[in-house]
Formats: sequence, structure tokens, C-alpha cells
Amino acid sequence: MSAQASSLIRRYCPDFPVNHCGELFTDTSQFMRIGYGDVIVLDDLHYLVIRDEAERRFGLEDPKYWVKRCRVLETGERKILKLVFHETFPMKIGQMEVRCFRSPQKESRILNLVRGDMRFMQGFTVPDVKKNPVRVLDIIHGKRLDVLVEDMECGHEEYFFTHFPNILEKYIGACEAIAFLHGNYEKHGDIRRDHLFVEYDTKNYRWIDFDYTFDFHENPFGLDLFGLGNILVFLAGKGSHTVQSIPSLGLPAAALDAITPDDCSIMFGNRVYNLKKLFPYVPDGLNNALMRFSAGSSVYYDSVEELLAELRPVSEELSRGA
Amino acid sequence: MNCKNILVAFDGSENSLRAIDYVGSVIRGDPSFKVCLLHVERLPDRDLFPDEDSWLKSCKSQEHAMRKALEEGRETLLVKGVPGEAVDARYVVSCRSPFHDRPQCSMGTSVAMDILRIQKEGDFGAVVIGRRGVSKQEEFLFGSVSMKIVHHARDCAVWVVE
Repeated sequence: MSAQASSLIRRYCPDFPVNHCGELFTDTSQFMRIGYGDVIVLDDLHYLVIRDEAERRFGLEDPKYWVKRCRVLETGERKILKLVFHETFPMKIGQMEVRCFRSPQKESRILNLVRGDMRFMQGFTVPDVKKNPVRVLDIIHGKRLDVLVEDMECGHEEYFFTHFPNILEKYIGACEAIAFLHGNYEKHGDIRRDHLFVEYDTKNYRWIDFDYTFDFHENPFGLDLFGLGNILVFLAGKGSHTVQSIPSLGLPAAALDAITPDDCSIMFGNRVYNLKKLFPYVPDGLNNALMRFSAGSSVYYDSVEELLAELRPVSEELSRGA
Repeated sequence: MNCKNILVAFDGSENSLRAIDYVGSVIRGDPSFKVCLLHVERLPDRDLFPDEDSWLKSCKSQEHAMRKALEEGRETLLVKGVPGEAVDARYVVSCRSPFHDRPQCSMGTSVAMDILRIQKEGDFGAVVIGRRGVSKQEEFLFGSVSMKIVHHARDCAVWVVE
């Protein structure tokens, strides 16, 4: 235990258990050594580490040791610190493998680009004494959009006509946010359902986590578009529907028989994207957009703008009917 | 459009070498043809490197290798019997290049569209490109230069060499 750290904690945070006061860190390179009760010093502010952040995927808790949830001792604010972790790893998408990279400088650049734009998480970058670019992030008080949608206690038809029009309108705004990044030659890099939050008080849709990148030369925004398509299908379907899960929807056997491989995702052969075959009231315009991400399509979106051009009329149509 | 003015897209791959070979076989012995071997620079993404030095090193070695390959491609045409004055080799730098600052550069968002822009500006009657053959999934995710050229080319012929 460092006397300096415990003295700071006692001064600013008297309720914190003294026996858990840790060390003072000005160099964050060895992030695995930094944990609960330690204090990170950045730009004259002291960040008390509360815990490592974790992602829940496939029912498992996946700790992110380089992401620390902290309390700023001087102000009492809660912040998330993202420490530098250069990582290269293969990401499996269907049968394909994509090489992904974690880039702190990319995230720092995007945080600068989107400052004040509440469609994105907010934060700034402070170098530690070793010039590691530490990202200091505001905590978004909200819930994952996919969890909100899945938790709605109503059937698909009621959801589709009552809630989905508003969700689609807001999701179009979230797609426009991604188009803004692309217009600035930046990609989000990790568009997944659990990276889009709905803020409790404003109801704003907000993207998080910009540090992934990948090297697709001819289609630099291809993975982002793929991610947007996946989320769109999820939102329109009020969940993911696989060939295996269709019987649980209580649809007639003919509906299941009518599903062909062309109706499924181009990357995931068992996920049904032709939602009109499951829910006949899905308008053609929306279904056409979904089908651009299916195995049966021969023409794909080149840009988010193309996707938006097809979604905006659908949104207007659904809003008129809602 | 000038039918005897041919633009060959070159990325150093075996497919693009096959395209050069094919063009050489077609036009050899006819001095009225002109060929431009075009390489659009695709530098590695700076974000994939932990520091500036390692990125610069990679950019430099890639540029060196590609200029050498482009020259070898030119030699292939000469060996085929295409006159030297009929062959031009052009290297379009990336706008993000740390070594060059040129008015005409590639933004890196689509090599195919860069090729078609140069085809239009240079009045090329044919664009020649090698194709490696990609799956639907690969085309969807990574994109395909040859498919994009086929889709977007106007007022010119497109030769896809497999």
C-alpha cells in the first residue's frame, strides 16, 4: 500500500476501506497490475480504480483488464479509463475470419471528431507519463438497445406497429451517425448490438467503443455496414430468428417450409433475414433492405447512405400507420 | 474513347501479372496501341501499427516493392514485343502517404473508382484487370475491385482476365 495513495483516498473518499488502498500509478503500461483501490494519476487528477470493466457475451463474463471503472477523487465523478492495449486477433464472421486490431490512436481521433455529438460516447485523451494515450470516457447511463427490445412484453405484431416505427426512426439517426464517421474517413470498427445504448433520460441512441479497426482495402466500411444490417434485422424481428428457433414462434408449418437458404444471412446461414416470410405485414421496402444482407442478394450496399435512402421512406410509411 | 489506349490495373498480384501477359499477347506487333500500367497505392493503415516508425518502415518497403514490380511488369510487355515508347507505368500515391505530397492522389476508399477516374481522364478505351475469384461472402465484406469496375465502368470496354 502506498502512503501517498491512501492519504489521497482518505482525504477525498473517507468511506473507502483503508485496507484496500493500493498504489499510485503514473505509468499505465502494465495495466494488469492496476486494480481495485489503486489510483491512476493523469493530468493532475487522481482516478481511484473501482473495478475492471467486463463484457457479457454468450452468458459469460469476459473481463477487460485494460478498461477501468474509476472515481475521480477531486470531483467525485465516475469515469471509465481505457488504457493502451495493442491487440491483434482473428474475428470469426460466419465461415470467414477477419483480422482485427485494437487501436488506441483511432479511438482518440474519433473522440475528438465526435466531441459534443451525443450520438456517440464522449471522452478525451490524456497521455500518461510514458505517453500512453489513456482515454477518459463519460459513463452512459442507459441500457443496450437490443436488451430493451427483447424485454418488451408483447408479441411481434403489436411490437412492430406500436414500438418499431419509433425505434426505426431513431435507428436511422444512429445509421446517420455512422455515415458521418465514414464521411470523415473513419470507421466505427465494431458495430454490434451491445455497442448501441439508449440513454435513460434523453432516450438518445449512442454508439460506444471505437478502438477496433480492420484493413479492408476495397470496402473499408464493409464490416460497419454488415453490423448495421445485423442490428436492423434484429430490431425489425424483435430478436434473432434462426431456422432452428422458428417453430417456437408458433407459425404454421408452411412458413418454416417456405424458408430457403437465400432467405438467410449471407454470413450466417441459419439466421432468417427474409422476415416477410415470418411476419407477412413487414412492408416490402423494409424487407428489400433486409434482403440486401441475405445470401440471395447479388447487389450489396456500398455505403450507409444507400441503406438510409431505402430506410427513410419505410420509416415515414410506418410512422404514418402507427 | 480511344480503343487503342489500354489501361491495365496492377497490384503486384499473380492475377495482375496474368492481365499484363494477356495484353502483351494481344497487342504485340501492333505499334498503334498504347498501354498504361497503373498502380494505385494502398498503404497499410496507420492504426494497425503501434508507433509511427514501424508504420513508416512498412510504407517505405511496400512502395519500394511495388515500384519494382511495376517496372518488372513493364519489362514483361517489352519482352512480349510491345515497343518501349508505347508503355507507360504509373504509380498513383496515396493521399495519406508520408513521403509524397501530390495534387493527384488516392483517398484509399475505393481503388476501383480511382482506376475508373483515371480511365476517364486519360481517355482509355479499355480497362484490363486480373481477377482472383472471390466468394459471395468475400465480395460482400471485403469488396472486389474487378466486380466494382464491371458494375461502374462507362464508355469503355472492361477485360477481366482470370
